Amino acid sequence: MKAIALLIAALAAGALPLLTDSNYILGIAVSAAIYTVAAAALNLIYGYTGLLSFAQLGFWGIGGYAAALTVMSFGGTFWQGLLWAALVNAALALAIGYPTLRTGRHAFVIVTLTFALLVNLIARDWVELTRGPLGIPGLPAPSVLGFEFHSTARFYWIAWGYAVLALGGLYALCSSRIGRTLVAIKQNEPLVRAQGISPMPYKLAAFAVSAAVTGTAGGIFAFHLRIIDPLFLDFYYMQTFLIMVIIGGAGSFWGVVAAGVALSALPEVLRFSTDFRMIIYGLVLVVAMLVMPNGIAGWLQQRRLARLRAALQ
Amino acid sequence: MSVDPLYLVQLTLNGITLGLLYALIAVGLALIFGVMEIINFAHGELLMVGAFAMSFALPAMGLLYWPSVAVAILATMIAGLVIYETLLVRLRPEEFERSILVTLGVSIIVLHVVQYLFTANPRLVDTQYGFDGIQIGAIRITFTRIIGALAAAVAFGLLYVVLRHTQFGRAMRAIAQNREAALMVGIRPRVVARNAVVLAAGLCGLAGAALAPLQPVTPGMGQFLIFKAFALVIIGGLGNIPGAIVAALGLGLVESWIGGFFEIAWQEGAVFVLMIAVLLLRPDGIFKRGAMRLG
Amino acid sequence: MKPLLEVRGLRKSYAGVHAVDDVSFAVVPGSITGLIGPNGSGKSTAIDCIAGFQKSDAGRVFLDGAEITGRAAHEVARAGLMRTFQTVRIYERLSLRDNLAIAAQQFDDAGWRDELLRTARYRRAVAAAEARARELIELVGLTRYAEAEAGILSYGQKKLVALAAALMPRPRIVVLDEPVAGVNPTRIRDVEAVLRQLNAAGETFLIVEHNVEFITNLCHHVIVLDQGRKLAEGTAAEIHADPRVLEAYLGIAPEADDAQRRGAA
Repeated sequence: MKAIALLIAALAAGALPLLTDSNYILGIAVSAAIYTVAAAALNLIYGYTGLLSFAQLGFWGIGGYAAALTVMSFGGTFWQGLLWAALVNAALALAIGYPTLRTGRHAFVIVTLTFALLVNLIARDWVELTRGPLGIPGLPAPSVLGFEFHSTARFYWIAWGYAVLALGGLYALCSSRIGRTLVAIKQNEPLVRAQGISPMPYKLAAFAVSAAVTGTAGGIFAFHLRIIDPLFLDFYYMQTFLIMVIIGGAGSFWGVVAAGVALSALPEVLRFSTDFRMIIYGLVLVVAMLVMPNGIAGWLQQRRLARLRAALQ
Repeated sequence: MSVDPLYLVQLTLNGITLGLLYALIAVGLALIFGVMEIINFAHGELLMVGAFAMSFALPAMGLLYWPSVAVAILATMIAGLVIYETLLVRLRPEEFERSILVTLGVSIIVLHVVQYLFTANPRLVDTQYGFDGIQIGAIRITFTRIIGALAAAVAFGLLYVVLRHTQFGRAMRAIAQNREAALMVGIRPRVVARNAVVLAAGLCGLAGAALAPLQPVTPGMGQFLIFKAFALVIIGGLGNIPGAIVAALGLGLVESWIGGFFEIAWQEGAVFVLMIAVLLLRPDGIFKRGAMRLG
Repeated sequence: MKPLLEVRGLRKSYAGVHAVDDVSFAVVPGSITGLIGPNGSGKSTAIDCIAGFQKSDAGRVFLDGAEITGRAAHEVARAGLMRTFQTVRIYERLSLRDNLAIAAQQFDDAGWRDELLRTARYRRAVAAAEARARELIELVGLTRYAEAEAGILSYGQKKLVALAAALMPRPRIVVLDEPVAGVNPTRIRDVEAVLRQLNAAGETFLIVEHNVEFITNLCHHVIVLDQGRKLAEGTAAEIHADPRVLEAYLGIAPEADDAQRRGAA
């Protein structure tokens, strides 16, 4: 039943270019697909595993630059670029994750934050590689066997296909015993160890997968924008992913996916100035964390639990 | 390669000033972490508020430096009090991630409200001292820089006295060392936490005010500094005040030296490399983590 | 009989205080062995050192002849020693069934590839775990809560869930850290009955408890710790008669003991 509903939703989303030829709407849809995947990746590490990672912003940027540089500087294809985006990020996640996760979650948050800043600085200051503040414009349209994804409608197929694939993969992971173990680690790490499970490989794997997925999402987004520059690492993106996870409900897979789609469309519909939009994001973050720290999905679950409790007593 | 020794002295002096100002921010974070076990993401915005307050107070006070600094400190203390009473008071010590997200929200709101009201254009701040300074041989340091460094040093002296010799300082240390025991002897954590936040905000206000004449004042100025302050808190050991001060001074010097000889990217990357190295070698920071210590 | 768990000369001190001081004992397979002692006698520290949650300063631990000294907690568990915790630890926001299933997952043959691809091996392992979980949930009398989140249970019920989880992978030995502390007295009998039933089926237990009555009712063999040292060892009856034990517990030499001493004099 659930599977059929998901299939229909995925196919309906895929049919969007047949329903509209507005580049504006399709552009939003591309962003929505990519942001949702990035939010789902953050959900894996924060919502499931309980590790608040600000490194996502860095992975997003590195993914974008890796894909762009593969094509523009190293003569590779877009698809190879995505592969590099995933590999480089996974390797970085392991390199940062190992020393940091030994020390506990406080250090993890701060180190990932500093990592995001460092990537930002490198993008700006390592001019020979990244071309500095000017960025790398004119990223070509991806192509497969001579078929060029040059229009927004065509590019939407890439974003859609990627979203279906990435979300499917993440869902398979989160709904498996591995996902359940991640939740267990978040809830009670000593108990996990007492049950013969070593938490470190799980945490590292979740971080690496989350990094790789975020990196490919960044790579695709860079080619959607057709340019990459240090603005690609604006903290705005991190805040967007965070808001999606928090409103949707950290640890709820479909809650975050729904929030990702809804929150990508909403700011466009409301059309605020950037400052005003950010102020609203900030307010939403503060209010959500104070009133319903587990998001809408968490709030619904709480109500369900209250009913259950009442029924059992 | 020969290095001009005067150049090195100049870099070192700049590094100390920079380090003292970093330390003001990092100490505030360490103080709040020690008492509440949370990280205040909006700390950089408090600094920015201090710098903006300074930039408005100076013309109003006829460019007089000290009254304007007092206004800036007062403004950030009030901001700290408001943030504590409306938001932080609702957080429990074990809610680390939640505290980060709440204060991140505050940081976004403050940053963009200021940007909306005053635009992102850099503001240049003039004081009664202008660009006057002292000249020793070929080395020239402006008064505002010297005063900033001295004010920071005096602030640390005062902080030491407060933490060591006042009732409220002792209560703060007691909570940081052993929360349960502190509760049992009748210390009210709420009052102590509020005091710690207000005190930390005041230090941040001082840093903002001291920085305002030294660099352009922008709404985003706090963000870059706060990232470094976070790293410093890790390097010094979470919640460890002397650790934060030493780490901050060290970073100021290292940055200044690196900045004098290498490209800027290396200067900015230094703090991250330092932090990862410390985590690999001494996972609890160079100094012991946890209880708030005074050396 | 060859011991299942053997502890030799275990030591652990904190800042110069000997929490565990040269403690040796053995647990015979198929037995229920009790480890008792007043507060601060080092029981929990000893358990933590044995199970790999703390590093001991000296001493060796053997499980079924193989040395497990200094191994990480998860390795000790994999070797067949499952433990519970004094302050009950369960996954509050997972269902009872998941709470139990997780406890067994490290012990079946399904690897991560099987899990992601949902292979037949994975499905077999999941089905086996579910059957075992159902059995154990029934044994501890919580069947009607099987699908509920563990967080809604009472404290005593949570202790039962923790016990059931420890039994999931059919460990060689189960170490229970204060299984009835804070449990409603009427429920203690239930726990007792469950443990007896499991022991009859061949399960070995090492139980750390405060509750002397519970221990004497249940245990074949009792070890008494006091101030980090082993004070006495023997059957429940022997321990009951041992004057040193009574003194450690009550702080005074009881009358029966006085009479005995006078008689000897």
